[in-house]
Amino acid sequence: MKSTNEQTLTFAFMDPPFESERTVTFFRLLDAALDKGANIRVFAYEGAVSLSLSLQKAHGNSIHGRNAEEEDHPLSKDWISSLQHKAASNNLKFEWINCGLCVDERGVTDVIEGCNRGGPPDLWRYASESLNTLTIGTR
Amino acid sequence: MKVLQVIDQAFRTTTEEQDDTILWLTRSMRSVGGELTVLLAGHGTNYAVLKTAQPSLTLGKWHQSQPADLPKDINQLIDSGVPVFIIEEDFIERGLQRQSIIQGVQTIARHNLPVLYEHADQVWQW
Amino acid sequence: MSNYLFIQSQDPFTETSTSNQYRLAQDLLLAGNTVTVLLVQNGVMPARQKAISKEFDALLNSTVVVIADKFSLQQREISNNELKNNIYVGTLEHAIDALLAGHKVIWN
Repeated sequence: MKSTNEQTLTFAFMDPPFESERTVTFFRLLDAALDKGANIRVFAYEGAVSLSLSLQKAHGNSIHGRNAEEEDHPLSKDWISSLQHKAASNNLKFEWINCGLCVDERGVTDVIEGCNRGGPPDLWRYASESLNTLTIGTR
Repeated sequence: MKVLQVIDQAFRTTTEEQDDTILWLTRSMRSVGGELTVLLAGHGTNYAVLKTAQPSLTLGKWHQSQPADLPKDINQLIDSGVPVFIIEEDFIERGLQRQSIIQGVQTIARHNLPVLYEHADQVWQW
Repeated sequence: MSNYLFIQSQDPFTETSTSNQYRLAQDLLLAGNTVTVLLVQNGVMPARQKAISKEFDALLNSTVVVIADKFSLQQREISNNELKNNIYVGTLEHAIDALLAGHKVIWN
């Protein structure tokens, strides 16, 4: 086993975008971890593999009376990108693995750069090599 | 590193995934040497009394051929060296006390949970 | 003995298992551990002074440290002076500090 990285945290997350308040809290935790100088490793399980789907598209909202540009709708792929850039600018690592079987069964194969494919052994490897791990299940 | 896997939901995606995804995740991580313990809480305690595979789903002409076999999954987990516990009170309040528990599954009273939690380096609540 | 931090997103009005989660926090404390509960999302709902939850009040009357996430409070327009006694206002930084300190951080 590789040596433990003293400043690396692993997060396992299960929710898809636009379904649960947990998603926002999860991303806030990642952002806070970067502020604290932690390297981040994410294992996206089940629906969470859709967080990095590159086909996500912002839309206008006629009920809000705003076009797509004005609405500036949040997309989880953009949140990931933003955190990737934040990590890079702070010389921190930001790794992301999507559960491959979860990707296949959902057909969400087109993901943004920096989000890779893996499986449960990667979660165990991530956790074993990290200082600590937080799992956030779905409901 | 010892990890306690706490599973307090049941039957969430067992039909679609043909397993409980956290039991499956646990078996997968065990296969690469993970030192894991499973605590079945809440509705998860229902898994401990199952005797057969889940019913097959039929939708129109589509018929499920490989429904989840949770007793088999739990037995294989135990055989691989993963201790499996159920919370006694959660089990009883669901009226399961008269049913036989899968051999090897251990019962723990709620007030003794701190012992289990202290035995683990990390607690992963799913 | 260990340090525990529960990120408490569930609330006693919606999830009956929340009372068991509060109790586990207190049992871990009685066993000699240090325990903090960080209320997030609808987990802050019982924190209002007039909220009615005897399970939550029992948690506050223990020596478990209870912190409410500022962002979650702001979303629900719960001001600091509306909070029950023994609740501190904080951020998710507490959870990250606990993770980096090697504490057992558990999502509820």
